[in-house]
Amino acid sequence: MSLGQDVIVELQAIVGSDHVRTTKGDLEPYARDATPLFRGVPDAVVWPRTAEEVAAILRLATRRGVPVIPRGAGSNLSAGTLADRGGIVLVLTRMTTILEVDADELLARVEAGVTTAALAEAAAAKGLLYAPDPGSRTVSTVGGNVATCAGGLRGLKYGVTRNYVLGATAVLPTGEIIRTGGRLWKDVAGYDLTRLLTGSEGTLGVLTEITVALLPMPATTNTGVAYFPSLADAGRAVTAVIADGIVPATLEFLDAKCIGAVEDYAHLGLRRDAGALLLFGDDGHADAVSRSLDRIGELSTRHSALEVTLAPDVARSEALLAARRCALPALSRLGTLTILEDATVPRPRLAEMVGRIDEIAGRYDVSIATFGHAGDGNLHPTCVVDRHDDAAADRAHKAFGDIFATAIELEGTITGEHGVGAAKLPYLQARLGADQMALLRRIKAAFDPAGILNPGKLGS
Amino acid sequence: MTNLFDPELLDRCISCGFCLPTCPTYALTGDEGSSPRGRINLMRALDTGVLDVDDPRVKEEASFCLGCRACEPVCPAGVQYGQLLETWRDLQWTGRNRPVIAWALMTAAARTSLLRLMGLVRRPARGPATAATSLMLGCFERGLFPGVSRAARRLLPGLAVPADQGCCGALHAHNGQSHEGEEMARRLGEQLPGVVVTTSGGCAAHLASVLGRDRVQELSEHLVATGVTPTGEVRVDGRRARVALQDSCHLRNGLGVSAQPRALISAVADLVAVPGEASCCGAAGTYSMLRPRDSRRILDPKLDAVEAAGVDYVVAVNPGCLRQLDTGLRRRRSRVRAVHLADLLADAAGGQALPRPRRRAFRAFRAG
Ligand SMILES: Cc1cc2nc3c(=O)[nH]c(=O)nc-3n(C[C@H](O)[C@H](O)[C@H](O)COP(=O)(O)OP(=O)(O)OC[C@H]3O[C@@H](n4cnc5c(N)ncnc54)[C@H](O)[C@@H]3O)c2cc1C
Ligand code: SF4
Ligand code: SF4
Repeated sequence: MSLGQDVIVELQAIVGSDHVRTTKGDLEPYARDATPLFRGVPDAVVWPRTAEEVAAILRLATRRGVPVIPRGAGSNLSAGTLADRGGIVLVLTRMTTILEVDADELLARVEAGVTTAALAEAAAAKGLLYAPDPGSRTVSTVGGNVATCAGGLRGLKYGVTRNYVLGATAVLPTGEIIRTGGRLWKDVAGYDLTRLLTGSEGTLGVLTEITVALLPMPATTNTGVAYFPSLADAGRAVTAVIADGIVPATLEFLDAKCIGAVEDYAHLGLRRDAGALLLFGDDGHADAVSRSLDRIGELSTRHSALEVTLAPDVARSEALLAARRCALPALSRLGTLTILEDATVPRPRLAEMVGRIDEIAGRYDVSIATFGHAGDGNLHPTCVVDRHDDAAADRAHKAFGDIFATAIELEGTITGEHGVGAAKLPYLQARLGADQMALLRRIKAAFDPAGILNPGKLGS
Repeated sequence: MTNLFDPELLDRCISCGFCLPTCPTYALTGDEGSSPRGRINLMRALDTGVLDVDDPRVKEEASFCLGCRACEPVCPAGVQYGQLLETWRDLQWTGRNRPVIAWALMTAAARTSLLRLMGLVRRPARGPATAATSLMLGCFERGLFPGVSRAARRLLPGLAVPADQGCCGALHAHNGQSHEGEEMARRLGEQLPGVVVTTSGGCAAHLASVLGRDRVQELSEHLVATGVTPTGEVRVDGRRARVALQDSCHLRNGLGVSAQPRALISAVADLVAVPGEASCCGAAGTYSMLRPRDSRRILDPKLDAVEAAGVDYVVAVNPGCLRQLDTGLRRRRSRVRAVHLADLLADAAGGQALPRPRRRAFRAFRAG
């Protein structure tokens, strides 16, 4: 579709003509996000500054039936900001004010375009911790994190973004500005719309302001690494750790392919002869941290770990975490097209899942490396192929179809933190069933009767 | 037009956006199109024929980009943005589309006879024609800051300084004539014996990309590598001078040299860290001349930070940055002076007296 001149004039009247772009060259950079292979060119890009401006834009869009795609930093991996049927990309990166950080109430209130890292820094400056830490934290926005319910390396102990959102200001597609939740942990008045909006991927409303809970900054953090002959061994160690009653902050794994790629790229001195590694970390009081890390080390050794090392200092600890954070880029250097996916299975079935992934990769003749959050069963099978080999890309997609089906079969799910977006919509019904899909659509229609907000994604 | 870019380079980008927070032009506009990732997408659109070089936004971004390469060290996928930009400008800035000022400067710099004349009038360093290591005079530095090469040679008296050296071609490489730029670097490599020492971060990065990393060293890198310890101290008002550093983008982001100048400054003065010292000052080769307004928008917050830090000097390791900082500081009648690293070190060794920081009273007068 293309927008009429009158719509553009109205948009300009709402946000000022400097903040509306419509030429081909202006739109092209917004035709993609971080999801490989997806492309969709919008008709206009608009940068609002306030909730009122967002409301005016959405009212106009509803009246004229124009799709509106909210966008933070565009770092999502599920084609969530894809303008595949044109329309307006609504960019929230001008809304970057940190409105308050309150050490007594342990909360912060920010505009949606504030980056995760900026929020975490503002909190740290007052001795507080913003727990969710997606790998993309320096780029991704708090609005995008809430909309995708982002997770991170501290997921096991601290959960995901959902566990920290106390309240939000959201603009509905019809233009109403609502405030859900507030400043309280305990508040059960009404349906939990805050939770409904969290993870709604920009399909129910546009978040403009968010209140998040903070925690006291833990006194210390430390990290260790255990190498195993196989991922199955590592999986058994994880089960033993949890059974022992330890809930560390971080429990991450890399398979042999990932270890090799990370070592080639970052030269951290990882052991290449291992079949898998577990990265474990904890935070809190120094003696408690050292007790829990020692115990994890012991249990790993008992479950056939080849070697366990604890980081002697903060720098080494950071280097180990970096190893996990750089898994995606390290893998991306192996080829020209890197497809990173996201699936979750119950923790005890992690090793089985990885085995099944290997088998599927073999069947489709593609190379799939897997890393992820062992502590919460969330894994990232990653396929690297040649961008110009269409047949290989096609086989990769088929393989991922099987991988999602397998995750569901093992009582898991098709995404643990990256969201559904456009990329996973085809697999959603298999996970939710027809009745729940129908309910989702009814909820979507209640918020968005004209179906203008991020169409083609969740709820479509 | 299709397949204009090296696919190996273009395909590297995984669109993760990690480069966004480091890009100074993205910081100004908040528009993806003026970010590294957005510009790579514009290049992809050029490559596939979706957009062409006449598209106004494509034109605008090719020149709005500073070429500072701050996007490179943070890129997890190892995208060589600087190289992509050179290809882009080669395509973009041909014929009538070339900015006139850039064209005039490039033509002047390419004329060795003109440079030699400048060498006679402005009297940069002189020295023998052969030695194991040689000093590069630089085209514009020779004319604008001839004292810098003299200071460098005072620090390193053994260097050869052949008089008939041309320009390294960095200017050309960054302004749409990368082929010419490469040729010039190669020629200069033949004119200068041994390891080439340069007092310009920008020239160092370009030369190294053509002659190889082994043959080229920027001054601070060379001093540290050869174990030359600076002597003496720079003093202001009877105390040790407080000195800030402005990194040269290409030195830091292209060659990974940032610790060495800091170590040298710390040896002779009190090094003061200033927020934003690693980000571009807006000089960016010809940028300050081609886009003076944007250049100042980038410079101004940096000068605010330098002034707020209460330093006496801000050190540059590149002539373009030195000129940019000097012009900006003069314009605001700051007490802070911009000096080249070579001058600072030579001054500490008792060789050369730096300009004194201006008196604060002047500021008070202006503010009143
Ligand atoms: C290298 C890399 C590492 C990553 N690591 C992690 C990780 O560890 N954990 C993780 O969970 N994810 C990770 N991600 C994915 C991504 O960074 C997250 O999904 C992030 O939350 C997206 O934030 P964003 O600001 O970029 O949002 P965008 O990508 O711009 O948008 C994402 C979705 O949110 C919607 N949206 C954005 N802003 C708003 C708003 N204000 N109101 C309503 N809807 C909105 C969009 O419509 C879209 O559907 C990673 C991505 C990359 C490239
Ligand atoms: S950081 Fe590198 S890979 Fe990521 S978007 Fe920027 S250039 Fe592309
Ligand atoms: S070279 Fe500098 S200005 Fe250009 S895209 Fe990279 S960071 Fe931005």
